[in-house]
Amino acid sequence: MERLADPALLLRRRVLQLGIVAAGGLLGSPAGAFAAENPPLGTWPEGVQGDSVMVGITVPLTGPYSADGKDEQLGYELAIAEINAGSDAAKAWGMKGKGVLGKQIRYKVADTEAKPNVAVQAQTQFIQRDKAIMITGSVSSAVAVALEELAQRDKVVNMVGVSASNDTTGKNCQRYGFRSQQSGYMVCKALAPVLVKAMGQGKKAAYLVPDYTYGHSVFDSFTGLVSKDGWTVATQQVVPLGTTDFSSALLNIANSGADVFVNIAFGADAVSSIKQAQQFGVLSKAKLVVPVISSFQAKELGPALTEGVYGTIDFWWTLQDRYPLAKAFVDAFLAKNNYRPGFGAHVGYSQTLIWAAAVERAGTFYSVDVIKTLEASQSQPFDSSLGQVWFRAEDHQGVRPVPVVVGKAPSAMKNAEDFYDVVELVPGEQVISPPDMFGCHLGSYT
Amino acid sequence: MTPATAVPELLLAVVLIAAPFTLPYAGGSIDMLQRILDWGIIGLGFDLLFGATGLLSFGQAAFYGTGGFVAAYLLVNNVIGSVWLALLIGTGLGGLFGLFVGVLAVRRIGIYFAMITLAFGQMAYFLENSPLSAYTGGENGLPGVPVPTIGGMRIEPGIPLYWVLAAIFFAGFVLARRILHSPFGAILRAIKENALRTGLVGHSVPAYKLAVFVIAALYAALAGGLLGVFQGYMPPDAFALDTSGQLVVQTIIGGVGTLIGPTVGATVWLYLHDNLQLIPGVGALWRLILGLIFVGLVVGLRRGIAGQIGAWLQRRMSVVERPDDAAPVDAPREPAMALPMIAPLSRADADAPALCAIELSKHYGGLHAVEHVSFSVREGSIHGVIGPNGAGKSTLFKLLKDEVPPTSGEVRLFGRRITGLGPARTAQLGIAKSNQLNQLFLELTVRQNLRIAALARSRGTFRLDLLRAAGSIPAVERQIEAVLDTMGLAHHADAPVHVLPYGEKRRTEIGIALATGPNVLLLDEPLAGMSPAERVTTRALIRELAQSRTLVIVEHDMDAVFELAERITVLYDGRLLADGAPEQISRDQSVQDAYLGGLHEYEPA
Amino acid sequence: MPSLPLLLSQAFNGLALGTLLALVSSGLTIILGTLGVLNFAHGALFMVGAYAIFVVAAATGSFVVGLLVGAVIMLAVGVMLERVLIRFFYDRPHEDQILVTFGAAIVIVEAVRAVFGGESQRVAAPDWGGGVTQLGFLIYPTYRLELIGIVAALLFALYVVLYRTSIGLVVRAGIEDARTVGILGINVRRAFLLVFAIGVVAAGVAGMLYAPIVSVDPDMGATFMVESFVVIVIGGLGSYPGAVVGGLIAGEILSITSAFNAAYSEVMLYAVMALLLVVRPQGLLGSEGRV
Repeated sequence: MERLADPALLLRRRVLQLGIVAAGGLLGSPAGAFAAENPPLGTWPEGVQGDSVMVGITVPLTGPYSADGKDEQLGYELAIAEINAGSDAAKAWGMKGKGVLGKQIRYKVADTEAKPNVAVQAQTQFIQRDKAIMITGSVSSAVAVALEELAQRDKVVNMVGVSASNDTTGKNCQRYGFRSQQSGYMVCKALAPVLVKAMGQGKKAAYLVPDYTYGHSVFDSFTGLVSKDGWTVATQQVVPLGTTDFSSALLNIANSGADVFVNIAFGADAVSSIKQAQQFGVLSKAKLVVPVISSFQAKELGPALTEGVYGTIDFWWTLQDRYPLAKAFVDAFLAKNNYRPGFGAHVGYSQTLIWAAAVERAGTFYSVDVIKTLEASQSQPFDSSLGQVWFRAEDHQGVRPVPVVVGKAPSAMKNAEDFYDVVELVPGEQVISPPDMFGCHLGSYT
Repeated sequence: MTPATAVPELLLAVVLIAAPFTLPYAGGSIDMLQRILDWGIIGLGFDLLFGATGLLSFGQAAFYGTGGFVAAYLLVNNVIGSVWLALLIGTGLGGLFGLFVGVLAVRRIGIYFAMITLAFGQMAYFLENSPLSAYTGGENGLPGVPVPTIGGMRIEPGIPLYWVLAAIFFAGFVLARRILHSPFGAILRAIKENALRTGLVGHSVPAYKLAVFVIAALYAALAGGLLGVFQGYMPPDAFALDTSGQLVVQTIIGGVGTLIGPTVGATVWLYLHDNLQLIPGVGALWRLILGLIFVGLVVGLRRGIAGQIGAWLQRRMSVVERPDDAAPVDAPREPAMALPMIAPLSRADADAPALCAIELSKHYGGLHAVEHVSFSVREGSIHGVIGPNGAGKSTLFKLLKDEVPPTSGEVRLFGRRITGLGPARTAQLGIAKSNQLNQLFLELTVRQNLRIAALARSRGTFRLDLLRAAGSIPAVERQIEAVLDTMGLAHHADAPVHVLPYGEKRRTEIGIALATGPNVLLLDEPLAGMSPAERVTTRALIRELAQSRTLVIVEHDMDAVFELAERITVLYDGRLLADGAPEQISRDQSVQDAYLGGLHEYEPA
Repeated sequence: MPSLPLLLSQAFNGLALGTLLALVSSGLTIILGTLGVLNFAHGALFMVGAYAIFVVAAATGSFVVGLLVGAVIMLAVGVMLERVLIRFFYDRPHEDQILVTFGAAIVIVEAVRAVFGGESQRVAAPDWGGGVTQLGFLIYPTYRLELIGIVAALLFALYVVLYRTSIGLVVRAGIEDARTVGILGINVRRAFLLVFAIGVVAAGVAGMLYAPIVSVDPDMGATFMVESFVVIVIGGLGSYPGAVVGGLIAGEILSITSAFNAAYSEVMLYAVMALLLVVRPQGLLGSEGRV
């Protein structure tokens, strides 16, 4: 009898082989077998080897936007805590257990000082040194655009933070970037009809425009949309970023005969310019409109100045009455931080949870699959604090309701943070720009 | 002084090679290393400007940004395909901008200079943000800068690109070090020590300042271009005042004048910046902590980190002899050591006197310091100028060397009018002055002091000799040795001047004037402050010098003047009181009345 | 081309802005002139003044009390800063002085941010400062008009102190030649302390007066810092009248340029300064060779 063809040996070998395959099938996740087919891309698979994954967060903690930055950071931290704990809120967003695909989220926060270069520097460290599997955060469109570029170059998914410029999902759009905040166009499209209804047709509007792309894009969108209702531009005052004294611009506005004053400034610039506008008597002659309201503006100005002011804001805490997930968010945030979240916190919170839900849905951290899942969300929207939201495949702009608010009278406020009434919640589909309007050409997947 | 060893270069090479394998494990990363090197490159140029020459610029960001945005624009818009070429163009244009700003800035010193550079930096920043935003991307900057290729092969971001940066930094360091140790570099350091004297011995100080300003701008522009390349993105912050400020901060922390200081400072600053934030609980407080550390460093470390290390090493390695005041004064050598002298460049008139003052006047408002003074000095003679204090002697000397312009009148050197040429040009033509109050390069050694002077006439008012060693011109070195011997300073040739006793400082002062190889030597109170023994030797020296050149001496030591001078001019109240041979002067009544002891009308009746 | 009424309005506005700049810059210039220290913390101290009045006015409800107590607070801050840090730097080179004040600025700004947070605080204008005043065709905030008056009075008071008192004489002599003043037996160090404190109070009071107009946040001093540098260069380093004149001129340049094109107002200011530095470096009222 020949040794070579010993059937017992062959059988034993075959059993062993099958066992190994079976064991591999049991140990690895179903996606693991497929994932083994993908070549390394970005920080994958290096960044997901262990039992945790890393998320890189950059927000301005010093410099002019530090208040919004701190707020945003708290939103991220809350979301990550909920995901890691596998809380009920996290489950409602689409998470299945503790962590994401069973892995806990680690994170690091770096201060951008509102400078694009510092943000790029910090996130590059997170990618190179910490193998971040997702990068996020910003309070400025310049930073957002720079980080989107970095994400595309280094092939790491970027859930854009606070950024309202049309260009973020327009000419600066990237395959690896997803922006949830309402764009300048959406804001204006939602706000214009409300304004016309409240104030009438044929108004003369004076505009205060901060001199950077966000400012110009909001101005262009707004004037384009209200012009068909006969609104004219009484004057357009362009001011450099960081202006502290708006008297020159306000004198022009006061003398322009305008009956509406549209203030496109953001953050500290908005606070200064509105204060000074009141001092120059502009507000007694013209009604104030703030198309994009910053988080703490009402608190900083005081309800006397914000009463009756129309505008939009990415998220306002009274939406908790409409969306259960918003209520969970606001309650948890209030309990942890002793104040109600601003919209920066909401962006941080919701972007993190949507990303995590997308990863769970895709079954993998592999960026191409995650991106494709997000791009396919129109047919299967995510449950979120703003109801059902999805990302448009053509430009990665979040399609979500736009809250139009008006400032409450001081006497009508039920608590110290009850500054606004949400007068309309305009569905995103109605106000989103045509996909090719702002020149978006998404890059490649790999 | 030649770079004695290549030790710094070797050390640097070792560090650069080891860094990418070590720093990432200590909380750094390849990206941090690249940034450190980028700051290091702009710092090399800045240290030449500030550390070596003493010009504090708060506007380097203007050139950093220019180089960066020009290169980025060309690449992102596909105007130029080659990254290397784009970098070259960016660097060149940045240097050109530096030339423009420099021409305006170097006319001023100190804080005025700093403010001009700051102003241009800020103007460039605003231009980038608004009017030129179509080209620069405004506050967004220019993304999408490609990586360079070598022979068709892309150099990937990460370690490969690091090697490129390290190589460029290394080359930049070697070049900067050569510059620092060249004659050009020696003059830069002299300008920092004593710009006035540097001009007096014949160097065009504004030209050197402009040259180093442009060099610094070139380094900055190159660094800017490289930032866009290794980051893939050219940020607007490059132009910000913060960038210029951070450069200054890092340089001072690391050590001014060490060339490697800015790099060390960048390492400390960037490392702390990144890692402080990651300590739990620190968060936004990182900047507060960094500020406190920074204040501590400024208060405690006077020379910066590299500077302190360097000073400590120097103290350990060299033995600086503290000259002994009681040591015998070195007698000057025999006249055998003839001092080489360069012949006058032009002689308008073969019979012309060596030096001639014609109706010289200098008014400071209502004060007539010098009034219609005329005299002439025969070639090869010793001419004395005496007069009571306030008579205008020092002012006259300044006029003779054209340090200040006369209100009227002119000065002729060998028949050629020199009024209006300025002190550097006149020094080149062969007239030198030693001052009443020492004007020395205190931190430099005696040898280095003399070298600054000796380099002048052999190189003209300006020469861009960046690559040779400062001590490598044989004729210059011979000149220095001769002066050292003549002035009896050979024993302490390599001691820094500030440790020398007064007498030797005085001899150095005269030596500097002598080292320019002058044909006419003006000595303003050469014997001032000297002991009797020193006076004897100095008088002998003066006599010896007169054998080969013309001397004009201001003195209060009447015995010396009357003994030495062939002819004496007496000044009183800015006017010429008398002019003639010593015997005539001593008998002149008006001179006696004014100066030598005419007390007749004051004697008690 | 903007209309004449508009230009006139802006010219008036420049006056308001200019007086404030003059106050801030005068503190900077006397510190530089007497102590030879270029105080990079000046903008931060301006900001501390604004926060001082915020705290006191919020506690007492009175703007005026806030102003007075705030001034005392600024005096204390100035004395402390000089005693603890600045006085060790008189003999150190200029670069070190610049750096230590630069570092102090960072520490002050971040300390305020740590205590108060980054968001903007509200300081209400006093009741007698509300509303607008009609000046012919010009409608102008009443508070700003009053501001011009208040600042002018303060500048005059400072002038009186500097030019009509013996301590002021010591200060001005110190600007000329501190060493000689010391040799004469006058306690120069005490005079230095006083000068520094006065300079800090000037900056702080400017911040207090400005607080109702702008957003009060930790970074508010940065622009004023650089602008006041420009002012003292234009006016002449170390010259008090120069700071006043320079401030007014700077205010006018900023305001009138913005009537044409707001983006260029800062650039114009720098361009004028650069031009002046090339043509007349000692500034309009400074003396040659100083510093």
